[in-house]
Amino acid sequence: MKCFSRYLPYIFRPPSSLLSSSCHTEADIISTVEFNSTGELLATGDKGGRVVVFQREQESKNQPHRRGEYNVYSTFQSHEPEFDYLKSLEIEEKINKIRWLPQQNAAYFLLSTNDKTVKLWKISERDKRPEGYNLKDEEGRIRDPTTITSLRVPVLRPMDLMVEATPRRIFSNAHTYHINSISVNSDYETYISTDDLRINLWNLEITNRSFNIVDIKPANMEELTEVITAAEFHPNQCNTFVYSSSKGSIRLCDMRTSALCDNHSKLFEEPEDPSNRSFFSEIISSISDVKFSHSGRYLMTRDYLTVKVWDINMESKPLETYQVHDYLRSKLCSLYENDCIFDKFECVWNGTDSVLMTGSYNNFFRMFDRNTKRDVTLEASRENSKPRAILKPRKVCVGGKRRKDEISVDSLDFSKKILHTAWHPNENIIAVAATNNLYIFQDKVN
Amino acid sequence: MVAKGQKRKLHGEDEGGGSAWESQLQSVLDISMDKFHRDQALVEPCLLRSVLINNTLRQVQSEVRAQVESLSAVNIPTKLKPEPDFPQLSPPAEHNAPLFSANAENTEDEFMAWTSEEDFSLSSAISAILKDLDTVIDAGQGPCASQRAPLSSLENLTQYPLRTERTSDIASSIKTEVMSPGCPQDGALDKFLLDIDASVFEPEVNLLQGFSVTADDLVKYLPSLSKSPSASSSSSLVSHSQATWEIQELEHVMDILMRTYPQS
Repeated sequence: MKCFSRYLPYIFRPPSSLLSSSCHTEADIISTVEFNSTGELLATGDKGGRVVVFQREQESKNQPHRRGEYNVYSTFQSHEPEFDYLKSLEIEEKINKIRWLPQQNAAYFLLSTNDKTVKLWKISERDKRPEGYNLKDEEGRIRDPTTITSLRVPVLRPMDLMVEATPRRIFSNAHTYHINSISVNSDYETYISTDDLRINLWNLEITNRSFNIVDIKPANMEELTEVITAAEFHPNQCNTFVYSSSKGSIRLCDMRTSALCDNHSKLFEEPEDPSNRSFFSEIISSISDVKFSHSGRYLMTRDYLTVKVWDINMESKPLETYQVHDYLRSKLCSLYENDCIFDKFECVWNGTDSVLMTGSYNNFFRMFDRNTKRDVTLEASRENSKPRAILKPRKVCVGGKRRKDEISVDSLDFSKKILHTAWHPNENIIAVAATNNLYIFQDKVN
Repeated sequence: MVAKGQKRKLHGEDEGGGSAWESQLQSVLDISMDKFHRDQALVEPCLLRSVLINNTLRQVQSEVRAQVESLSAVNIPTKLKPEPDFPQLSPPAEHNAPLFSANAENTEDEFMAWTSEEDFSLSSAISAILKDLDTVIDAGQGPCASQRAPLSSLENLTQYPLRTERTSDIASSIKTEVMSPGCPQDGALDKFLLDIDASVFEPEVNLLQGFSVTADDLVKYLPSLSKSPSASSSSSLVSHSQATWEIQELEHVMDILMRTYPQS
């Protein structure tokens, strides 16, 4: 991949079509975005329990400029609202996370989860159908056997491509608390599902048993002061995983040391900066997302105001810290009051682990180049996204004179938050979810 | 604001810091309690959110306690007296720096300024209130009930509405308005206290500051974690006789509270 900095900040332009739903209902709010391992497919989950999978168009000599556009490939209802009769609770159908399995045959597999249940979905194509049944006619009606005078062998005839999604496994009843993460192991046999207090290890083939590997539930729930916020397997080492907490710490666990990984192998924690201490220090230190780099050498964590890169060999402090929207530091009390301080932003690496991306408010999202130390703020909005237009960098002015094109902190729209983003594993193509709209941007060099 | 009427002129220039801290303390407490109550009303509150709010409340509580202890460390008399002594103002004993340590020195000066004779009795009254608060929290060993269990200790606060009287400055600044919704006795107590307020207090002593502050108003206080010019910092000293009256009034109100809401 070419040097990223060459394209900054004018790198991305939107495709010719903007993928969104026409009417904005609560159910259409996108709650997760994920590319598959080749980048050919992009899955989104929404609050209504639906999964929409986009597929990248193949290169075509006829229309070279349309290369790389994503079109809807499959849509299915993954989860339905449920009612827990024992506790009289409604279980939301909102898709919290989607994770693709590596492709092993013609079909695609993904795991999708809501608060309580993980499902393995198989997405497969059908472009042929058998015709010439003996006992059924072409419309499927049963033929009267007495009218059949000869036998024939059904043949496969081509048909319009049909993409069907079928649930292959349902992993349920293993979580008392709400599932916040799932992560597929590099052994392609197991995966972990994580809720507020526990992490369970599953075999992809076995749905009636899971193994609890982390449990931080105290004997007396009144003593609970810390919960698990995210967890992920190491990309290469199938025995290693990390989980982050609401107190800003990350624990790396090795499943070989013991069956129960309550004792961590490494604890990544940065000492608190006393000059920045406030009533909200703990809340803003709560880690909302943790991601291994593709190399497995680094960890990235997102808390409310920063993105941090950790070297897994150095636990005492992060390697790099990037300010996402430090101008909010003085507004924490009102952000606490309107609940924005609890927003859980995700973060992503690019394919070469050289650039980080995360979302912010006002439909802004930020990118940080680790090598050049340059950063850029971009906006995902219809107004700024004419086809093939170049995204203009945005700037938030924190006080004093506001330059033209800058936006002041007080004008930021906190209801427009970008919590979920994804980066193509190999190319400079990014997917940004802004409430109910999905924006896909790619660099201008084709 | 809280101690405006009590600040000494000597330390006039840095009065904003302490008030800002107090107002933020009050607003964090109010917001946290509001969220706590709302979450209690939900069938299934989000555990992460509950834990964070709970920890914030605990932090506020320990912060208040630390400040009161620092006051008590300076103030010598521990029981209410009609004629308090005037001990030397010594530098406050080592205590945990306030949260906004960027302003730590200023805040300490604030408290030095505050530790006038009128405050000794008030601070001890606050200590008493906080002790009661602690007892309630410690006593709240209710049975765990699914996800709400972590906060069950705080739930007991609703049975014991600690309503510090507005007649006292510092007490009112740490007003823990933990009212059970729809509790009729609170309304009656309200009216009673309001009557006291209206009839007794001199107008220039601003004791009822910031309690009906709206969310927008809160933002005004926020950017200024460091030194900020206080909105209206009057630094008139309260007369000794008025302080005496306040002490007696506070005692009276505390008696009422104890009788009306006996500790369970």
